[in-house]
Amino acid sequence: MTSIAALPTTTALPAIPGSPSAVTFDAVGRRFGDTVALDRVSLDISAGETVALLGPNGAGKSTAIGIMLGLLEPSTGTARTLGLTPHDAVRSGRVGAMLQSSGLPLGARVGELVDLARALYPHPSPRDAILERAGLTALVGRRAETLSGGESQRVRFAIAIAGDPDLVFLDEPTVAMDVESRRSFWGDMRRFAEEGRTVLFATHYLDEADHVADRILVLDRGRVVGDGSPAALKATVTERTIRFAWPAAAQSDDAHLTALPGVLGVDRRGDDVTLRSTDADETVRALVAAGIAFRHLEVAGADLDTAFLALTSGGDRAA
Amino acid sequence: MLATRSAPIVPSVAPFLAYLRLEIRRSLRNRRYLMFTVIFPVLLYVLYTAVLDVGAGPDARIDGLTWPVYFLVSMAAYGAIGAAMSQAVPVATERRQGWARQLRVTPLPGLAYVSTKVVSAVLLTVPALFLVGLAGRFVNHVEIGLPTALATIAVLALGSVPFAALGLLIGYVLDVESAQGGMVLSYFTLAILGGLFTPLPMLPEPVATIGRVLPSSHFADLGRAVVGGRLPDAADVAVLAAWAVGLGTLAAWRYVRDERSGRA
Repeated sequence: MTSIAALPTTTALPAIPGSPSAVTFDAVGRRFGDTVALDRVSLDISAGETVALLGPNGAGKSTAIGIMLGLLEPSTGTARTLGLTPHDAVRSGRVGAMLQSSGLPLGARVGELVDLARALYPHPSPRDAILERAGLTALVGRRAETLSGGESQRVRFAIAIAGDPDLVFLDEPTVAMDVESRRSFWGDMRRFAEEGRTVLFATHYLDEADHVADRILVLDRGRVVGDGSPAALKATVTERTIRFAWPAAAQSDDAHLTALPGVLGVDRRGDDVTLRSTDADETVRALVAAGIAFRHLEVAGADLDTAFLALTSGGDRAA
Repeated sequence: MLATRSAPIVPSVAPFLAYLRLEIRRSLRNRRYLMFTVIFPVLLYVLYTAVLDVGAGPDARIDGLTWPVYFLVSMAAYGAIGAAMSQAVPVATERRQGWARQLRVTPLPGLAYVSTKVVSAVLLTVPALFLVGLAGRFVNHVEIGLPTALATIAVLALGSVPFAALGLLIGYVLDVESAQGGMVLSYFTLAILGGLFTPLPMLPEPVATIGRVLPSSHFADLGRAVVGGRLPDAADVAVLAAWAVGLGTLAAWRYVRDERSGRA
C-alpha cells in the first residue's frame, strides 16, 4: 500500500534556524556478520528536539543508539554527536544514557548509585534534585536487588540525568513499567525535555511516541521509512474508518457495501457496520445516494498504529 | 563551534575513586565474599593448628617456620586468593546485564572499569590477611612484630595481582551460570595443588611438581619469606609477575573483544 517512496525523508521537520545539530548520521551503515542492522541511514536531530525512534524489534533502533553513543563503530558512514565523535561526546559529560535492560550492580544502594553517577560527570545536578526528579527519594537506602523492574528503571533514569546532560538517550525506557509508572515517567521526562534538552528515545509503544515526541523517526529493517511529527505521519495514511448503525443491515448482504466507492473492507456486528475506506468522502456520498438509512455516522482518521503498520513491514504482512 | 564549547576532557582520579569506593562497599556486603575469604580461612586455621592434632610438634619446622606460623601464611594466602578472585562472578554478571556497558556511556574512561576491578580485588585481600593474622595472634600466640605483620600484608596484597587477573579472565570468558563454578574450581585447584592445605613437601611428587609451577605456591612462599624476616625470593616474584602478565594479557584481550562488540 503506502510505499516507502511515498514518504521521502524531506517530510522531516525543518531544522530550527541556527540551532546546532545534536546528532547527525551521514550514510551510516552497520553490519553484524551477514545481517545489515543499519542501511546507510542519514539523519539530523536538532538541539532541543524530543525524538522517538520507533520500529519493530530488529529494526535497528538499538544499533542506531549504540552508534550515537560510541558503543558501536559504524561499518560505513560518519556519526556525530553534539558535533563530536560519539566517543568524545560521551567523555565530555554532556550526554546521558539509559540503555536497554542494563542491570544495576548487586549490593549497591540507590543513593550510592546516584552518588556514583554524580561523581562521574563534571557538572552534576544536585543530589536531591536528581532523586526527586526520578521519584527515588523514598528509595535511597534500598539495595539494587530489592527493587522492582519499574523502580530499577527509575534508578537508571537517575543515572542518565545525573550529569545534567544536554542530550539524553533512552532505549526502551519503560519496558518493565506498569501503566501508572509509565505515565509518571513520561511526565518527568517531558519536564526534563522542556528545559531545552534534546531527548532521543527508542520505543515500540506507539502511544508513547505519539504523546511524548515532537518528531518520530520510523525505522524498519535498518532504514528510515518515516520521519515527521506524529500528526504528519498519521496524515500520510489516507485510510479512514466509517462507522454507523443500520437497522436494516441484517436484511442486506455485504455486496451492497463492498461495491461502494473506496471501500476496502466491511465488518458487521448486528446493526453496527464498520467500513474501511481509502476515500471517506466518496463512500459517504454513495451511502446517501444508495438511500441507506444510516444513523450515528462517524468517520475516524488513521491512528498512529495504522500509520506505523503502513510504513513498516507489518503493513506488508497485513496487506 | 560545538567542538570548542565542549568541556575539556581532564583525566581525574575522583570518578575512579568514587567507583572504587562503591565496589569495595558492595563486596563487603556480599556474604559469599565474607564466607570464602574471611570465615573459611580463619576456621580452617584454628581447626588445623589448635583443634586437630596434625602431628606437628612444637619444635617441628617447615621452611624454618613452626606449624602455627607456616599454616598462618597458608591460610592468609588462601583467603587472599579467594578475595582477589572474587570479581569473577560480578564481572560475568555485569557483562550479561549491561552494567559494564552503562558505565561506558558515562565519562568514566573505558579502562577504569577493569582497573577498578583489579584494585578493589587487591584491597579486598586485606581483611582476610588481617583476620587470619589476628587468629594466629590470639589463638596460637604467634608473635609477629607489627612492622613484619604490616610488611607481610602489603607484600601479599600486591602479590595477589595474578589472582585478580584470573578472576577477571574467568568473568570475561565464562557466562554467569558457569563463572561461579569456574571460579571455585580454579580456586581450589590453586589452593590444594599449591600446597596451601597440605604443605608442598608432603604432597606426592608429581602433584608437587605441578604445584611448584602454580602461582599459589609462590604466593605463599612470598609471605613466608617476609614473615620469617627475609626479603622475598626473586624467583617467587618473577613467577608471580609472569602469571600476572600472562593472565592480565588474556583478560585484556577478552575485554577489548567485548568492547568492540559493544557488549561491555
